[in-house]
Amino acid sequence: MGRYALRRTLVNIPVIWLIATLVFFATNVLPGDFVARRIAQQNPAGGEDTTAQVAQIKKDLGIDKPIAERYTRYLWDVVRGDLGESYRSRQPAISEFKRGAPYTIQLSLMMLVVALATSVPIGIISALRQDSLVDYVLRLLAILGVAAPNFWIGTMLLLLVVRYELWTIDLINSPLLWEDPLRSLQLFILPAVAGGFASGAGIMRLTRSQMLEVLRQDYIRTAWAKGLRERVVVVRHATKNAMIPVLTAIGLTVAGLLSGNVVFEYLFNIPGVGNRILTAITERDVPVVQAFVLIIATFVVFVNLAVDLLYGWVDPRIRLS
Amino acid sequence: MTTQNVARLEEQYFRPPPQPVRPLRAARATRNFMVQKPLGGFGVILIAVVVLVAFLAPFIQRYDPDEVFSRDNPDYDAELAEKSLEDRSIRFLYPPEKFEKTVVASVDGISAGHWLGTDTAGRDVYSRMVWGAQLSLLVGVGAAIIAIGFGLFFGIISAYFGGWVDMLIQRLTDTLQAFPALILLLLFLQVVENANKYHMTIALGIVGIAAVIRVVRSAVLRARSELYVEAAQVIGATDARVMVRHILPNIMAPTIVIFTISIGSYIVAESSLAFIGFGDPAAISWGKMVNEGRKLFPASYTMSLVSGGAITLTVLGFNLAGDALRDVLDPRMRGAGKSGF
Repeated sequence: MGRYALRRTLVNIPVIWLIATLVFFATNVLPGDFVARRIAQQNPAGGEDTTAQVAQIKKDLGIDKPIAERYTRYLWDVVRGDLGESYRSRQPAISEFKRGAPYTIQLSLMMLVVALATSVPIGIISALRQDSLVDYVLRLLAILGVAAPNFWIGTMLLLLVVRYELWTIDLINSPLLWEDPLRSLQLFILPAVAGGFASGAGIMRLTRSQMLEVLRQDYIRTAWAKGLRERVVVVRHATKNAMIPVLTAIGLTVAGLLSGNVVFEYLFNIPGVGNRILTAITERDVPVVQAFVLIIATFVVFVNLAVDLLYGWVDPRIRLS
Repeated sequence: MTTQNVARLEEQYFRPPPQPVRPLRAARATRNFMVQKPLGGFGVILIAVVVLVAFLAPFIQRYDPDEVFSRDNPDYDAELAEKSLEDRSIRFLYPPEKFEKTVVASVDGISAGHWLGTDTAGRDVYSRMVWGAQLSLLVGVGAAIIAIGFGLFFGIISAYFGGWVDMLIQRLTDTLQAFPALILLLLFLQVVENANKYHMTIALGIVGIAAVIRVVRSAVLRARSELYVEAAQVIGATDARVMVRHILPNIMAPTIVIFTISIGSYIVAESSLAFIGFGDPAAISWGKMVNEGRKLFPASYTMSLVSGGAITLTVLGFNLAGDALRDVLDPRMRGAGKSGF
């Protein structure tokens, strides 16, 4: 197990380097734009010769040097843990990230809770009652959940609440759970349900098919034959093994939640990481984009690593092969 | 051994006798598919409807999708307007809507004139819906073709050669898959100024390559250990020949399945981008319409409802057809083929 873990971990070092490289070059192909924007703000009338100003701003921001030099410098800074500072606010990009993180973490956790609380039990029930009416209805819901875009479900939920005045949603202050629990729930419950349903649908389908496969195995028949109660057979014998591939799907979902968050943070005006990335991209605030994307991608790499290790731990066949 | 010899030997040992393609057989195969897999058949019908709508858009539209409609202004005061022509200072004494004879027909609900109402800019929603099908199909199918092309190439090479080539391609795939898809797309679209629908198709295709490589690679790994590959190598076929003539035809089943299912993912990704305002500003996109429809709340919700519903049904069609194809063509692949969006 130790060697397996070490091998899986070491493989990720070049991946993180590649991520940093990709982020750097993708964001530096158009470096002039922020400067142009800045000039336009300082000099709204235009007309003057701005070459000197452009040079000065580029020097201030440290982007007057050749790209190779900036690249090595960037890598060195990343290694030291310095992710640069925002062009706009001149503050460390990392502090910008820290301001957005609580919103995104709260939203992601709530989505994950909704996804798991609905998908896993429903998947199991659907498998146990295969080809019954319940099974058909649940499967139809899951198929629709996979196909329906999450932002559409979110929009429609928002409309429902607004139209029938079910409760008031604070779209301006975006309170966090520990600041104002009730108002926070009133706002976050909508994206949590919409996102949780969309990502849970996939997990549900996988849980169902895995359960069906496991329930057909010999050792399950043995468990029935021994006269064990249904609960014991389902929970202790079947679910345990059926959950192994589902783990991967859950890992993918955790990683994918961030993508969904961008959409929901935009729709519900939540000042989380996703919304800040959108702003930074629009404003071409390169260091902020770089820092955010690097942090997120590294996080995903580690989630995948954790899933792999967990996988190897619960299923010995994998780490031995 | 010369190439001609290899070809002759292949002809002798591998080729099944050529079978004439009869249209009747294709029709029967389609009918069998529809009967065996009713859900898959339903998916095929949904796809057919979207394709038809997309191609017939110029004929089934009721108005030009960009035509702005106006209606009589209830606040219009004819007497006042006439006076204002002589004495312009009157205009400052009254609210401006008193002087406009017509207003943009925004927030008009469902009517015989506009089946699905009009949007905020007074354009006919039904006609725009029809044109939205074109963009979804163009982006979805285009991106899938790009992703499959590159994915096949790198996936086959990666699995066939193994070693450091495989290692390199695998790490590149890991890298691409570490980014949340939407963020990687935004990153790529940043590179070009004023990204249009073609840039978007290319960006989506590139983002999708990694998932295709995964599927193709595992299929090739299975095929590579088969006896027919070894036999081809023994009779002296070059690596390129083995890959193209022997491996490629044998991995078509999973390739077709992932092609079909991924189209749905690309359509969702495109509409998500359009929804958050990063789509092609000139194109009519269902995703953008869901967002624009929000501005009509709570007076009318038709636009958001139908445009999102159209995305759902289109994606549903591709998913159902793909699932059924997988069951028919390649039962081993159950559960695989998620493209990560």
